[in-house]
Amino acid sequence: MRLKLLTFLFGLFCVNVFLPWGALSQEKGERPTAPVSRQLSLVQAVMCEEIKDHAPHNQAIVFSVTNGSTSCFTSFDPVPKKTYIYHNWFYRDKLTARIKLFLRPPRWSIFSRIQLREADKGPWRVEITDRKGALFCIVRFSITD
Amino acid sequence: MNNFLALFLTLRWQDIIDILLVSYIVFRFYILIRGTNVFRVLIGIAFLWFFHRIAVFLGFIVTSWAIQGIMAVAALIIIVVFRNEIRSVLQAKNVKALLWNYPHKMVETPVDIIAESAYELAQLRSGGLIVLPGKDNLQEVLHSGIPWGGLVSKEMIVSIFWPDNPVHDGAAIIKGNRVEEAGVVLPLSRRKDLPSYYGTRHRAAAGLAEATDALVIVISEERGDVTVALGSSMRVVKRKGDLGRILHDHTGVPLGQAGYRRKQKLELCTAALASVLFITGVWFTFARGLDTLITFETPVEYINRDPAIEISDTSVNDVRLHLSGSDALIKSIRPEQVKVRLDLSRSVVGPNTFSIAQKNISLPPGVFLKKVEPSSVTVILDHVKRKEVPVQIDWAGKLPEGLILSEARLDPEKAELIGGQQILKNISTVYTEQVSLSTIQKSGTMTVKLVLNPASLIISPNSSDKVTIEYIVKTRDQ
Repeated sequence: MRLKLLTFLFGLFCVNVFLPWGALSQEKGERPTAPVSRQLSLVQAVMCEEIKDHAPHNQAIVFSVTNGSTSCFTSFDPVPKKTYIYHNWFYRDKLTARIKLFLRPPRWSIFSRIQLREADKGPWRVEITDRKGALFCIVRFSITD
Repeated sequence: MNNFLALFLTLRWQDIIDILLVSYIVFRFYILIRGTNVFRVLIGIAFLWFFHRIAVFLGFIVTSWAIQGIMAVAALIIIVVFRNEIRSVLQAKNVKALLWNYPHKMVETPVDIIAESAYELAQLRSGGLIVLPGKDNLQEVLHSGIPWGGLVSKEMIVSIFWPDNPVHDGAAIIKGNRVEEAGVVLPLSRRKDLPSYYGTRHRAAAGLAEATDALVIVISEERGDVTVALGSSMRVVKRKGDLGRILHDHTGVPLGQAGYRRKQKLELCTAALASVLFITGVWFTFARGLDTLITFETPVEYINRDPAIEISDTSVNDVRLHLSGSDALIKSIRPEQVKVRLDLSRSVVGPNTFSIAQKNISLPPGVFLKKVEPSSVTVILDHVKRKEVPVQIDWAGKLPEGLILSEARLDPEKAELIGGQQILKNISTVYTEQVSLSTIQKSGTMTVKLVLNPASLIISPNSSDKVTIEYIVKTRDQ
């Protein structure tokens, strides 16, 4: 009887602790099946024309300035604790925007977007770094006619 | 007068050597060609040039044009017509003969022996034909001569024209103190005014005398008289002394050797002085006449740079030099004659400022520096380093509607660059040349070059300056 009570209390604890975090996640990707690493890890970083249904739409490496905007989509799994990252947008080798983005456990997807102007044509890159500046990944793309 | 003295006081030792050197060249040229027809024609051309300048000054359009044309043709004529004389001048036996020797007009031609021989032959009633060349080259008008090369003596001349001698019918050519050739066939004169009793020997003498400046002595075997042909004249010389004088006049050897040497020395001194005066005048015209100012823009060259250090930047690449000099010299300046060089042997990594002084500038002689703009140059030096950086494609243009360039892979993905440490510090990517999208219809590959910016960067020999792009094209999702 005591064993049944203990099992019930443990199940109730699990529902209270894990279920709400999983429901709040914005990521639509598959839940990782591998053993969970306790370090913040980037699993996807792509450039896309827009974000539709929390996912990158029309991923590409070249964007026409006539599109009006372009987005950098990043997905992290796991996210051990609340933290933030940076999307550093470089036009050629010049930093033009540094966007701070907050992440929440256990996994999180987030994107940043820039509006495109005629003067923005040329090669770009987005450097994704953690709060201390450690580099996760560089995504390269071009803005063209 | 003071200005004139001031002009001389500003002469440098280089200027004096310059004048003396060219004067000597002119003097040597005169020595080599004096007495030849080339010299006479050059004097004619000098007069033409003088008249041309006068015609130009007075505004005689057609006259100056005509003289200019004649001068242009004359230069060609000199080379063609006097090619033999020019060749004989330039075919000096050695360098010393060309640069130093003073060829005497006539080398001790034994005129008295020749005169005596002529009358000896006349007395013996033995015909003879003796040629004493002038300055003209006789090779083109003479034929069939036999080289002789014997020293002139009365016995030899008599023996040459001895009736049993196989060469007695031809002429003997005497140059200096030697019989150079015997049995020479001379061109016959076509004159109609010669006396009817003149035979072939006299006509041959007249023919050569008309065609050249040679003097020909004819000894008649029928009449036993001695005739001298020179130019268009032919006259019988009755006395040995008269013949001697005629020969002395022709060969240029005065009767007294001391007087001859004095005359020759005087001539040489006059020629040398005239050469110096002429070249001094030319030098002053070129170097000091009509002071002109010019601004010359020239690049700065850096020398003695440590190979481990690179010039990463300079405050200026070119400097403006304000130069002065005579109009002729300023107009003749070529860019490679003007150089600004800075010595980097004592420079350090980082900014170095150099003042541009006279010692850094090399100019052609006679051109002077007035001012330099800017007066100093800052050169930033940097250590040469290597850095491996990722390559990024510089796409340009527009993809056809409905297509998306979804992915591109590069081979190689990185390139190693060599350049200044400070420059490389700010370089994190090397870009390709612009790659046009407009022709892309489907996935494929292409090879493109890398573009280095700044241009001082170079690609390491370990890296390729080209990359292959493999790109994937997809249809756009609506």
